Amino acid sequence: MIVTRPTSMAEVAEDLAEEGVRPRAGGTDLTACLETGVIAPGPMVDLLGVTGLDEVDWRTDGSARVGAMTTVAALGSDPELSRAYPALAATARALATPQIRGRGTLGGNLLQRNRCAYLRNPAFTCFQTGGDSCPAREGDHLRGVVMDQGPCVAPHPSTLAVALLTYDASAHLATGPASEVSVADLYEGTDPTRDHTLERGTLLTAVSLPVPAPGERSAYRRATGRSRAEWPLVEVVVRLECADEGRGPVERAAVAAGAVARTPLRLPEVERALVGVAPGADLPDRVDGALTALADRCSPLPATGYKVPLLQGTLRDAIETALEVPSR
Amino acid sequence: MDTTVNGAPTPTPDEPEVNAAEHLRDTLGLTGTKIACGSGVCGACTILVDGSPTASCLLPSAHLAGRSVTTVEGLGGDHPVQRAFAAHDGLQCGYCTPGFVVEASVFVDAWRAEHGDTAPDRDTIADALAGHLCRCGAYEGIFAAVAAACAGGFDTEPVEAPPRADAPAKVTGRARFTGDHAPPGTWTGVIVRSTVPHARILKVRPAHDDGGAEAPLVDLLGEDRTVRHVGQAIAAVAAPTPAEARRVAAAVQVDLEPLPSVTTVEAARRPGAPLVYRTKAERAAAPAYGEAPTPRAPWNGNVRGPGVVSWRGPTAVSRLRAARLREDPRLVAEEYTTATQVHTPLEPHVSVASWEDGHLHLHVSTQALSRIVDKVARRWDLPRNRVHVVAEYVGGGFGAKGALSPDTVAAVELARLVDAPVRVSLERSEEMTDAGHRPGNRTRVALLADSEGDLRALAVDSVGDGGVSVGSNVATFAALMYGRSPRRVRDFDVVTNRPPGEPMRGPGGPPMAWALEQAVDTMALRLGEDPLALRRRWDGNPKRRALYERVADLPLWRDRPRGERTGRFRRGVGLAAAGWPYLLGPQAQVELTVRGGDLMVRSSTQDIGTGIRTVLGDVIADRLGIDATGLTVEIGHGSSVHGTGSFGSRTTTSMGPAAADAADRLREALREHSPDVPASGPIPEHTFKEALSGAEGLRVVGERGLDRWGRLTPNMAGDLAVGRGMSGAVHVMEVEVDTLLGRVRPTRCWAGIAAGRIYNERMARNQCEGAVVQGVGYALFEERRDDPHTGVVLSDDLEEYRLPGLGDVPETEVHFHQEGFEHVPGGGIGLGEVSVVGVAAALGNAVFDATGIRHHDLPLRPDRLIGATR
Repeated sequence: MIVTRPTSMAEVAEDLAEEGVRPRAGGTDLTACLETGVIAPGPMVDLLGVTGLDEVDWRTDGSARVGAMTTVAALGSDPELSRAYPALAATARALATPQIRGRGTLGGNLLQRNRCAYLRNPAFTCFQTGGDSCPAREGDHLRGVVMDQGPCVAPHPSTLAVALLTYDASAHLATGPASEVSVADLYEGTDPTRDHTLERGTLLTAVSLPVPAPGERSAYRRATGRSRAEWPLVEVVVRLECADEGRGPVERAAVAAGAVARTPLRLPEVERALVGVAPGADLPDRVDGALTALADRCSPLPATGYKVPLLQGTLRDAIETALEVPSR
Repeated sequence: MDTTVNGAPTPTPDEPEVNAAEHLRDTLGLTGTKIACGSGVCGACTILVDGSPTASCLLPSAHLAGRSVTTVEGLGGDHPVQRAFAAHDGLQCGYCTPGFVVEASVFVDAWRAEHGDTAPDRDTIADALAGHLCRCGAYEGIFAAVAAACAGGFDTEPVEAPPRADAPAKVTGRARFTGDHAPPGTWTGVIVRSTVPHARILKVRPAHDDGGAEAPLVDLLGEDRTVRHVGQAIAAVAAPTPAEARRVAAAVQVDLEPLPSVTTVEAARRPGAPLVYRTKAERAAAPAYGEAPTPRAPWNGNVRGPGVVSWRGPTAVSRLRAARLREDPRLVAEEYTTATQVHTPLEPHVSVASWEDGHLHLHVSTQALSRIVDKVARRWDLPRNRVHVVAEYVGGGFGAKGALSPDTVAAVELARLVDAPVRVSLERSEEMTDAGHRPGNRTRVALLADSEGDLRALAVDSVGDGGVSVGSNVATFAALMYGRSPRRVRDFDVVTNRPPGEPMRGPGGPPMAWALEQAVDTMALRLGEDPLALRRRWDGNPKRRALYERVADLPLWRDRPRGERTGRFRRGVGLAAAGWPYLLGPQAQVELTVRGGDLMVRSSTQDIGTGIRTVLGDVIADRLGIDATGLTVEIGHGSSVHGTGSFGSRTTTSMGPAAADAADRLREALREHSPDVPASGPIPEHTFKEALSGAEGLRVVGERGLDRWGRLTPNMAGDLAVGRGMSGAVHVMEVEVDTLLGRVRPTRCWAGIAAGRIYNERMARNQCEGAVVQGVGYALFEERRDDPHTGVVLSDDLEEYRLPGLGDVPETEVHFHQEGFEHVPGGGIGLGEVSVVGVAAALGNAVFDATGIRHHDLPLRPDRLIGATR
């Protein structure tokens, strides 16, 4: 296994132009994927020493461009990022464990492989590993999708993507054709062979966030069995732009869910219902209605029906937290 | 660019296939850093990289370039948190401890810098240490240790010695476990395993190394040349490096003839289902997972049983039938299931073997050292003086490490073949698949009460799902509870082409209690009676009755919420009773030798975290009235006298009295030369020293004395006998159920344990606290998941198999009732198993109390909770 350690983007581009070379960021998922045979050993280009990839650039309009090698821990602890993008920072603080947050990166989190136990077990092949079936669909898929978009039933694992969807963030690419795509377009639900849309050799270098909204109220919630350190059964980011620096009613809502489908998803029907809701008050019936109606969008597998009420419950929890609704 | 490791510059490795943990351990010899899960989940491999805690098993070693690394060795042993872990006994086996203290050291320093010398709350500590798992469950001690270190309690060395004698070795990384004993030149052995559920193996073709030579290979198949589950060991290969060994293993070709298989209980029970065992001889050779020898039972296809225990059984059955016909409201008939629980000690099964002039040197992670010595000598036909087996520190076992396992066979055979030391250490996926589990069960309970509310009949039928193994005894244990009313209990096994079980801490007990203790609560509800009151009426066991008295006065129970709970979060309290037979090892021996003017304590027992190393020293010091710190205790060496295996809750109750006997014999022997040594009572320090100096080379051997009134059984196979009386336990659990997200949070637990006199209060408490942790895991999270079509274990890492972390366990109080075993020398029996049996059941009753919904299936996952509270 050959690993190169370039220090400049030019060298990275050169290395990635070679056939079959993979970029390595923090290495937390890549190492595990190598161990379990998800990917075969092969040449890699290590990005840790590349200058500038882990920087946060603040533009004059107040928006940020966050380097792909920024660690999850930095996303959660950087005071300026926390002030400007509270939903993103709260999400970063809630995922994985301190050690993983310390090594795992923004780019790696967005482009990691899914957590399906069949994918990560060398005893099986599936669409993702050159096979022509999904053993989880016919087998054990308790943690599978509840919105069935295609042959593969593994939910997308990126927690940060859920938060970034609520910001309409975009990803900067190098060494490929397009230079910028929306984070939403990094994912596509019907192709069972891959977990993101980037071609081999394309490098995600940074994520751009919009001008921070004054009066952002937000919450990240995940449903898990244990209290910590567990991949979510359902995860949700609610980001509300409220009038009067956060004290007034919701003017714009962005709500996204993860672990329910092959891609992280925005939930526009819930967003619409939230516009006009005032903080600190009981939720109006139309929010309940929107949550109930979500069931129609779901298409559970035999063992994932529980994710419908769990999604509704997690959303309710996050909405109530963001709006400081008195607890029941 | 160099790497600075613990202050000294070292070359940075340039081997892409070596991670930082392997580099530190194997190249630099810094074996305090442990590898356990291999996937960044458990934290045992945590190091500091430029001061930042990092899982070194996921860290490419090249990422160390230019960095400053601190390992547990670099903490120096005098960091306040290391002292605090030792003083608060925040550890048992010690395998996870280096990772914990490395991360905690950073947290404690940062906390104090920001908040001064104050103690953080439990949630804050759980957040900081979320990336760490302790399978022994020493979390109460860890909470206390971290809080105390933050509060500034350990800036100087404490005056008092820690409760656990080997704690200093464990918190510094000095304690060397089996896999740490790999001298330079040690080869790596890898086991080649079956990829099919059932097949006859025709031929195993060795791989070739880079030079074209046949790579060394040993055969691990049994005589019938058949594999019966995916993951079964077929052969083993070795190579000088781990990477090469893995490549060679992957290149081994296995020619096989597939046989029809069954990989679910349902499929195995169908008429005409393929048979896992086809002949009588095959059935007789089926592995068994009972703790004691498995009694004979009939077979029918893939179903074995019933094994029946009955007391006026026909009466019980006819009463229950009649009650069913008349739809008697005092008949409770319910079915409960449990999931497969995997032992998964953080130190995997691992062996390091080497041969030298016809002598076999073997380091092995075992909880039955003396038994391994016997088996090794027999298998390789060696005289005892040529077998040198060492198990000085054992990183947990819980029942999984009692046999001569394939890792040991492979290491010994391969070492002979390659003429070099060979280490075989199971990967976590192997450990999760083929290294033992507590089988799942389906158990039906029927209880009938009469108009007075007395128990009229009891019946239990239970089916064990132990893969290719047999020996379920779940129902049998139910026969030992609640008096002598008519009863019939029957145990069945259904065999499938899935991996075999091993006895796991209280085998049969937790599934029995999960069913029976919830059924008893259902009966209390039917009778309109308080669950505690019903047990006090039904249960004649005097030890549990003493515990019930305590529970009645316990604020946790007395002031529990009553009536229907509403709202999102609902609190509930439940209890469960448990008992366990008193087992002992009659062959236990302890030898005392005077060497160099000092007293040495030796025995071929082993400490898997229970603390027997400490107990031996304590008992002898106490008996002679001397200072325990002046003794050298050496266990874990097979060259010593017979030591008890660490299972069946019998180590302390067997070894403790043998140590006391040894001390008495020593005193007598010393008195022959030194008349100043008193016939009884403490020996003054100078008298003792003088006596020892005049007795160089003196050796006495103490034995486990007999109980008053004898035993219930003779010494059965493997140094095992059943004594008189049973231990008892009552657990009271409080939970908070989040009905919106389907989560159960255990908040408080009271564990009342009756096992006679306690030898070492803090260590015993630690073990009982750990039992609560494991019971909570069993109740809420732990579940082996298999592919239904192939029997492949899907939950084969610590991400998919969920162990409880610090944030998942209740604040636990342990109460010991210390009477009732005065007939036993030493006055106390084991508590390792009785302390785990009722935990999940108490939690189930608490969830019912909180929600009004009775759950029948373990674990209580969110999908089950949310479905039932919708």
